[in-house]
Amino acid sequence: MKLSLINLKNFRNINKLEYTPCEKLNILSGENAQGKTNILEAIFALGTTFSFRTREDNNLVKYTADGFSITGKYEKENRLINAALNFSSNTGKIYKINNKKTTRSNIDRLRVVLFTPDDLYLIKGSPSHRRDFVDFILRQISDEYVYNLQNYAKILKKRNLLLRDNGVRSKTFKIINELFIDSAVKIILARINFVNILDETARQVYSELTNERYKIKIRYAISFPLDNDKINLDILTKALQKQLINKNEREVIRKSTLMGPHLDDIHVYQDDKMARIFASQGQQRNIAISLKLAELYTFKKIKGFFPVFLLDEVLAELDDEKKQLLVKHLATADFQSFLTSVNFGNINYYSAKFSLVINGHLE
Amino acid sequence: MKLARPLENLIDQLIKLPTIGPKTAQRLALYILKIPEGEARLLAQAIIDAREKVFPCPRCGYLTDTDPCMICRDVNREKGVLCVAEEAKDIIAIERTGFRGRYFVLNKEFNLMEDNNLEDFNISGLRKMLVSGEIKELVLALNPDIDGEVIARYLAGIAAEYEVKTTRLAHGLPVGGDIEYADEITLRMAIEGRKEI
Ligand SMILES: [Zn+2]
Repeated sequence: MKLSLINLKNFRNINKLEYTPCEKLNILSGENAQGKTNILEAIFALGTTFSFRTREDNNLVKYTADGFSITGKYEKENRLINAALNFSSNTGKIYKINNKKTTRSNIDRLRVVLFTPDDLYLIKGSPSHRRDFVDFILRQISDEYVYNLQNYAKILKKRNLLLRDNGVRSKTFKIINELFIDSAVKIILARINFVNILDETARQVYSELTNERYKIKIRYAISFPLDNDKINLDILTKALQKQLINKNEREVIRKSTLMGPHLDDIHVYQDDKMARIFASQGQQRNIAISLKLAELYTFKKIKGFFPVFLLDEVLAELDDEKKQLLVKHLATADFQSFLTSVNFGNINYYSAKFSLVINGHLE
Repeated sequence: MKLARPLENLIDQLIKLPTIGPKTAQRLALYILKIPEGEARLLAQAIIDAREKVFPCPRCGYLTDTDPCMICRDVNREKGVLCVAEEAKDIIAIERTGFRGRYFVLNKEFNLMEDNNLEDFNISGLRKMLVSGEIKELVLALNPDIDGEVIARYLAGIAAEYEVKTTRLAHGLPVGGDIEYADEITLRMAIEGRKEI
């Protein structure tokens, strides 16, 4: 996917703006609070219908206006698509693709991968951060995954309510348990499939991006024991059925569900040692960057086209050597990327397109 | 702007109706003031009559003004096929298709995934129908969401107690829809519910 044009109106500090990026690396430079990240946020919203910085759409509206508008043109598998996201407090959000009202699960929506400084702590951070990392991209890959994840969240909530209200002997609990296993297994299998491809692509990106002699390995870590090394629908279903019985007493005492994909993790190894314990901080950052890039390549392997890569203020966190390696990769890659930065350092930017953002305008 | 008290009152009542906003409420109120008085009285009387005379059929739950309802009394209906729906409005939709079986409405007015449980359903009427031995097939016309899934499994279990077969409406592509543009879930459900031709 390549974004060729985006128009913004009354979005954050932007009154009116037209931006025509290039097909490779685009750099949005400028001082803080000038609107660089707002442009990234608008691209993200055009693809997902929501912001990565706020859940409140009113916060996205320029304070003198009562609504915002984002429109854009992009290429998807050799077709030119136009999309529009309009919001006003009266009408709410209206999302259109090719001039037709639609939802955020439209197959022709712009797909995006976002990289923020938080992601540099992907290795050190909590399991939920790593689960979110996998879930975010799987949501972009499969609508069925979105559906399963939503169902799982509802079932989990209901299951916890029944545990809390002494409902474990009810008919509802019995059926909720069946549905719990069904949707848990679907989510785990989708994640394992994704992580297996991510493992391959991350290993390649890592050795290309760093001069490290280490090999990295990524594994999906299921939070409950399995009887068999081979993982399939049947084995997972049986393992969960067994867990439901074994953990029943503890679940009743704790009034909470103690197994399932909401407790799983993604383990990253460096030469067979857990990277979160044994890798240095610098190595952990390299691995995190490799994982984010691998996310794009994995998406491409599954869907056949690249999403658009959005990097918000990531460079500031890196030393010049690492900056150079990342920028070189982005400038020569087959996907389109957008990078915001205050500070450039003394590095080569190849043929990147520079745009200076001052007070909501492009110079 | 100050409105006459009775007019304001009418607008306030209309606003309470679903899908009616302040603008539409005002338009409707002004329209009612313009029509002949007799027509306005008919409208008011129709509201009162419907409220006083229509009630859920004690046997099947369909909205009726007779006990039992027209469908339950109709001897030409197929006795062997019983369609279970979540709300009376679903029956109105299914009736239009020419379905000739009988119905049972769950009158689900609560959220199964929040505070309510399956035990809160009053299905004694359904059991009475099943125990009669006339019913050969239970057709579940339930929404394709998680609530519908829970209810479907529950009712299938109950039907099995009476050795009655359960079927569920197929979910699939909307007629006139384009396969190319169907979302993955709809397409998957349509494939699962495919039929031999
Ligand atoms: Zn009836």
